[in-house]
Amino acid sequence: MIQKKICMLGASAVGKTSLVSRFVRSLFSEKYHTTVGVKVDKKIVALGQDQMDLLLWDLYGEDEFQKMRASYLRGSSGYVLVVDGTRRETLDKAVVLQNRTEETIGKVPFVLVVNKADLVENWEIDDAAIEELGKRGWPAFKTSAKTGEGVDQAFLALARKMAGAPGP
Amino acid sequence: MDDSAGRGNGNESDASSPPPADALKELRRLLLVAEEAQVSKLQERLDDPEIHAEDVSRVLPEAIVIRSAKDDNLTRVLQPTVEKAILTSVRRDPQVLVDALFPVMGPAIRKAISSTLASMLESFNETLERSFSVQGIQWRLEAWRTGKPLAEVILLRTLVYRVEQVFLIHRKTGLLLHHVSATAAGVEDADMVAGMLTAIRDFVHDSFGGKEGDSLDTFQVGELSVWVEQGPQAALAAVIRGNAPKELRGVFTEAIEKIHGEQAAALQAFDGDAMPFERSRPHLEACLKGERQKKAERAPGARNRRAIQLLRAAVTVLLVALAVWAVAAARRNRFWDAYLERLAAQPGIVVTAAGRRGGKYFVSGLRDPLAADPVAMLPGSSLSAGNVASDWKPYQALVPEFIAKRARYVLEPPATVTLAARDGALVAAGSASSRWIEEARARSRAIAGITRYDDSGLTDADAGELDSLRRRIEGRVLLFPRGSSDLPPAETAKLRDTASDVKEVALLAAALGRTLRVEVIGRGDSVGSVDANLVLSRRRAERVASELRPDGREGEGLTLIPAGVGSTRPLRPEVTEEDRDWNRSVSFHLVLADAGPAGSSRP
Repeated sequence: MIQKKICMLGASAVGKTSLVSRFVRSLFSEKYHTTVGVKVDKKIVALGQDQMDLLLWDLYGEDEFQKMRASYLRGSSGYVLVVDGTRRETLDKAVVLQNRTEETIGKVPFVLVVNKADLVENWEIDDAAIEELGKRGWPAFKTSAKTGEGVDQAFLALARKMAGAPGP
Repeated sequence: MDDSAGRGNGNESDASSPPPADALKELRRLLLVAEEAQVSKLQERLDDPEIHAEDVSRVLPEAIVIRSAKDDNLTRVLQPTVEKAILTSVRRDPQVLVDALFPVMGPAIRKAISSTLASMLESFNETLERSFSVQGIQWRLEAWRTGKPLAEVILLRTLVYRVEQVFLIHRKTGLLLHHVSATAAGVEDADMVAGMLTAIRDFVHDSFGGKEGDSLDTFQVGELSVWVEQGPQAALAAVIRGNAPKELRGVFTEAIEKIHGEQAAALQAFDGDAMPFERSRPHLEACLKGERQKKAERAPGARNRRAIQLLRAAVTVLLVALAVWAVAAARRNRFWDAYLERLAAQPGIVVTAAGRRGGKYFVSGLRDPLAADPVAMLPGSSLSAGNVASDWKPYQALVPEFIAKRARYVLEPPATVTLAARDGALVAAGSASSRWIEEARARSRAIAGITRYDDSGLTDADAGELDSLRRRIEGRVLLFPRGSSDLPPAETAKLRDTASDVKEVALLAAALGRTLRVEVIGRGDSVGSVDANLVLSRRRAERVASELRPDGREGEGLTLIPAGVGSTRPLRPEVTEEDRDWNRSVSFHLVLADAGPAGSSRP
């Protein structure tokens, strides 16, 4: 059994917490977010015969990428960049966060998750933009915390990348 | 190369026929002229150790990297050499290694000392905190009772805790390396707990600052507390229920140090696979310590309370007994003092020493045999001959009542005599026989304490008796009829009485050592002739005298002298007939005389 620390990153209200709380195993209540600023949950992913435990560090509010958050990133084997498909600026924020993260902990696997796929008609981010990111080597997934669409695939993809990549 | 050259030469010799040795040499020169320099150069390099070392030095780092990646042989092979080198270095000049290690050792030692001091201080503070509480006093009592040092007792009493879970957490990732639990609970999601623990510690560190290396070591929730012991690569977090002693941290420190020592490489290379850390289980389980306060331990307390109650009762009984004894002793002492006072007041008793010895009273002194018996004077119940030792030496007391007493003892006076001691004189009064009076005079001189014997107040009872008998006899007159010397019957009673009295007086006189002469005088009246009357009177006297002789003869010391006086000495002048009757009679006269020199000294 392999464990990996994963960080959930993204601007406020992009649905990080929703993604986590609906599709992962939770032990701690939501109030940890506001009190401690982070909540650790677990997502178990099957990789063929093996199993990988993803310990998801869900950070609270990423509008200001403060210095203190760096400690949360430390030791991460990968991260999930969450974007709200209905808000273009969250993608820009994700780019900034990705840069800062890479500065902090180096190159580690990550996936881009464009959330709120159930509201695709209201999306400000078009497929072209997503493809653009794909060309830059950003694996992007359309997900819906509401319907569950794409969530498992996104985590599985990240797990596969991490299984092949060197450790933290 | 030599082989191929040889073969080549063989072929050449078949073609021409110069002398074979020279030709071969020539051919070799022609063929190898270009390589010869290279060969000799190579030879030179192989022979020259300096060049050889230079070559090796070029590839050594890479070679080490390659070999180290393959296996641990290099490390194993080098280990003794490195150790020996360090040893040699230290022997030669320790300063070199000291200088090298100083930057490392300084902080390490400081950290060790400060952590030791902190735990000591905490323990000391706790001791002080509890010192003046009720519990503190109980602990002090317990320490006193069991003979253990106070610190040990406090430690014992505060060890009421259990380490329920121990997490070994990879520091960098916050991932769980291993986890042990004293109970079945909370095992499943230990990985998330480990993550959150790390997150919270990061949060505290980030939020409230502190230097690099500072970290949250303890957090407390109700009776649960989490102690975190930090190592360079991994941290140990222990969940403790209850109140653990500060010394427990030493156990955690030791565990994390051992894990780092044994699994440094695995920790360094950790990539999410916790399997290798199964090895750390014994170290983590060693941290699952606990101490329970057993109910049985309270039992000695209860027993102790019972023992105290018993002791209290015993002390009460003892005190009551003591009080009773004290009262009795005081009463006895009072009796004793009163007894001694009575003894002192007693004539003929002189107390020379008195007191208590060996639980018994004792009294000693002088006692006149005539004095009261001191033992009989003891009050009895509380003071008796059983618990009073008496030692009395006899002596003679010269107090007046004792002189009189002793005089009575010596003189044996009759009941009619009183004896009194007065101003050194013994005074006798009353009446006594002449014989006693004589003897008393002689004996009184032997009585101690008297200077004089005065018996002037004493009458001689014998002399008085003699006198009264004489008067009675001399007062009697026996009357005769006219002209007769026969006593008429009416007068015989008088004669008998007189005879008895004479007998008595004769005995008394003899006792007093005197002689008695009884003159029996016969008379006649004036009627008739003088001569006839004279004869008649003589006959009358002889007749009475014969009657008075007891046993028909006179006794010793008694002389009866009958005499007739006729009418010459009439008792009464004859005026009437009655006067004549009185003169026809016999009367008596007694004469007492001293018998000799042993006679009475009476004046």
